[in-house]
Amino acid sequence: MSTAEFDQSVETLEPSMSGRSPALPIQLTARDISVWFGKRKVLEGVNIDFPKNTVTALIGPSGCGKSTFIRTLNRLHELIPGAALAGEVLYEGKDIYSPDIDPTHIRLNIGMVFQKPNPFPSMSIRGNVLSGLKLSGMKRSNHDDIVEETLTAAGLWNEVKDRLGAHAGELSGGQAQRLVIARALAVQPHVLLMDEPCSALDPASTLKIEETIRELSKDITVIIVTHNMQQAVRVSDYTAFFLAAENEPGHVVEQGPTTDIFSNPRDQRTLDYVNGRFG
Amino acid sequence: MTVTDPVFRDLHSAATSHRGDRIFNRTVTALAFTALLVLAGISIFLGAQAVPVLAELGPSYLTTTAWDLTSTPPDVGIWGMLYGSVLLAVIGLLIAVPAGLLLAVFMVFMAPPKISKALTSLVDLMAAIPSVIIGLWAFYVLTGPAVEWQQLLNEYLGWIPIFQNTSGNFLGTPFIAGFVLAIMMIPIITSISREVLSHTPPELINASEALGCSLWTMLRYVALPYGRGGIVGGIMLGLGRALGETIAIFFVLKIVFEVNWYNIIESGGGSVASLIVSKFGEANAGFETQLLLAAGFFLFLLTLIVNVIANLIVSRTGRMQR
Amino acid sequence: MSTIVFDKERVSELRKQKIQHPWRKRPRKFTFSVALAVLLPAAVAAGLLFGTDIPDPLVMILVYLPLQLVAAALAAIVSKGKHGIADSIIYVFAIGGSVFSLVILLSLIFTLFVNGLKAFSTQFLFQNNVYISPSTPLDYGGVGHAILGTLLIVGISMLVAIPIGVATAIYVTEVRGRAVPYVRFFVQAMSGVPSVVAGLFILTVLILTGALSTSALAGGLAYAILMLPTVARTAEEVLRLIPEDLRTGALALGSTRARTVMKVVLPAAKTGIVTAIVLGMARVIGETAPLLLVTGYSDSTVLNPVSSPISALPTYIFANVDQPYPNAVTRAWGAALVLIILVGILFVIARILGRGKVK
Repeated sequence: MSTAEFDQSVETLEPSMSGRSPALPIQLTARDISVWFGKRKVLEGVNIDFPKNTVTALIGPSGCGKSTFIRTLNRLHELIPGAALAGEVLYEGKDIYSPDIDPTHIRLNIGMVFQKPNPFPSMSIRGNVLSGLKLSGMKRSNHDDIVEETLTAAGLWNEVKDRLGAHAGELSGGQAQRLVIARALAVQPHVLLMDEPCSALDPASTLKIEETIRELSKDITVIIVTHNMQQAVRVSDYTAFFLAAENEPGHVVEQGPTTDIFSNPRDQRTLDYVNGRFG
Repeated sequence: MTVTDPVFRDLHSAATSHRGDRIFNRTVTALAFTALLVLAGISIFLGAQAVPVLAELGPSYLTTTAWDLTSTPPDVGIWGMLYGSVLLAVIGLLIAVPAGLLLAVFMVFMAPPKISKALTSLVDLMAAIPSVIIGLWAFYVLTGPAVEWQQLLNEYLGWIPIFQNTSGNFLGTPFIAGFVLAIMMIPIITSISREVLSHTPPELINASEALGCSLWTMLRYVALPYGRGGIVGGIMLGLGRALGETIAIFFVLKIVFEVNWYNIIESGGGSVASLIVSKFGEANAGFETQLLLAAGFFLFLLTLIVNVIANLIVSRTGRMQR
Repeated sequence: MSTIVFDKERVSELRKQKIQHPWRKRPRKFTFSVALAVLLPAAVAAGLLFGTDIPDPLVMILVYLPLQLVAAALAAIVSKGKHGIADSIIYVFAIGGSVFSLVILLSLIFTLFVNGLKAFSTQFLFQNNVYISPSTPLDYGGVGHAILGTLLIVGISMLVAIPIGVATAIYVTEVRGRAVPYVRFFVQAMSGVPSVVAGLFILTVLILTGALSTSALAGGLAYAILMLPTVARTAEEVLRLIPEDLRTGALALGSTRARTVMKVVLPAAKTGIVTAIVLGMARVIGETAPLLLVTGYSDSTVLNPVSSPISALPTYIFANVDQPYPNAVTRAWGAALVLIILVGILFVIARILGRGKVK
């Protein structure tokens, strides 16, 4: 064992400073991430570690750069015209923005679910689940198993198992969103980014998706942007609170274990926000 | 005081009960039906000219291929011309569909915005070039290299029946005429495909990017299936234009009164529209003019059907996308 | 992991961060392989084109295209791995298809200017074709009569098509009668009428019946059939953009419907309507087939729109194209250049007006 590896393993074994849980290996790290659209800086100096197989919630009022931040984590950000970025995103220790990395590879390992359910309307339910394999040219055998596995993981299997050939357009909003989650899972990502996945859904569907998220975090790392603070408390292990002062870029005011952020915040603004005094 | 029954009041007519408004409404409504009037007029007047022709010649007018007025009964028919029009349009489509579609894909998904904008203007310009000018260019500029291409096709691929040429004459071939039609169809197909492809919903593109698509898989599984209806409609509109094209074809196609089934690089072919122009000058005022008018009637029917189908496809996908 | 609070002291340090676009950095092997993939096949093809007698099309199709595809695919494998191959191939075809279309367009415009300018002179624009035979030197005669003829015929068609086209648009967007879907359907169907059929229609109805002789009026009516759908459809799109508030506002002031349309809606849509008219003119100005059937031909300047044959630019070109005399052909190119300049002017006007509309 080399020294570097030894150091790393020592680090992972070391208990966290709060002493509540043993430190988990870090899967994804944002280091000094700042984001611009054109000349306007919208996000500044974000440093967050995302431990493996945990759920991290990103909370904060609208327009503070949460959604922008999450898009920098799987290189979707660069597809917006005028987008710029400083800092590093380390996925399993490697900078995903280094020139020799293929963005496709990153996006396959770090999946994403969007605010608005966006199944492909021209494909069937089954086709949607398998669409990631087609689009990325990935080869996996026994498609039937994948369809059943991922739809079960997304909590949709029982509702659609009899009509896998039906058009995806026939599903309700909540079902469509779970289908989209299944679609993202079918390419076996290690991280799943969720950008307000429940904001367009009714409470019952929201509950189902929250269950799904908890279930998923046994195997993969989930990062979820949400406006709903109860949701953050219910599903997440860690929370980061984003805030932007007027005409200033957004930044992370406070981050840490969800229980600490909600019950014992150290910054007054966090306290005000989690208690619903603004935002 | 008498109690009156509740009266049904037509709010629409109440709103327009003002006298000036009534006149205005009626005038505008009447004028709006001009399009119908013209279409009906064309059907009736040209149809009326077709009646005596069909009465005299029967269905053989549509099934024979000859233009001999001296024999009795006259041995005349437009089958070769109708078939020729379709053959030319098919050749044109085989060139214009890939070229137009690729140009549209390049403009929407590959080119930087500035180049894409410049290309849009160029395509609009290409659509606006009058066909007589395209014909002039084709006659003096295109035929030279086109003859060379055809000779090469014949030399190396002559064993394929469609590339046979026994006469050694490579001028006035369906291939050249079809190529000219392609030049006219490319801007139509490009601009409609560009429009349709650029309306691919961003959330679907986002979704495919997040699933690690490549440009090719995104086109293959998302953008093209989404825009299929509109693109097919655009191709049909191009086809309608090709079937009705007259002058440019007149310059580059040698019209012969026999059916050229598939020898696309053999001199001679047919086109209803060009037939009309080429025979019109020498036609006597009587029966021969009627023959040409009847040909115009069938050309009108053919293009009308193609255009109606095209517009139905385009408007249906338009509605689906909204 | 414990709670971490934002360190305000780091702000000044963070403010020094430079704007970056890390995704724009290409690995050197990518730049290198793409450059090689572009240059190598081109160099080989150029060598064969200029160095050997192999016919050009064969070099392009049998050597350049396969070589370019293979090179692009190899470059893709080097920089992106196997899944980049499909993209590299579609890039080659898309760029190839675009270049194909552009080459045709540029060749058209280039030859038009080169050949057309040979005929150009003041007298070419202003004189007519009387006493000019196909072999007369280019110092004499011109297309003045044909320009006038075109303007006269297009002018007549505008007088007919614009009121009807705008009225059709008003019916669809303002009167909104029950027949709207049918009217739109007919207008669309009408836009597909081939120009030669429009000519035949006027011929049968007006000329063969003896109601009219071959003349500018007959040509104008045939053009009007072709112009009407363009005007109606563009004007309809423009009127749709007029906000509903404007109409309700006028009606609430006690205006009648007719007055609302004439005094409020149409003036608001003025530039758009003009655009519609300009596009309609551009649509018909080069149409040849209908004129061949219904306007006849004349070498002299004709101002009588009703009863005498008249020439226009397209018919002038048509008459001169396949003459065995170079001077006649040069005249045809000259007339074609005049025609394309007229079309170009109309398009520039439409573009400028269209831009104003967006603001």
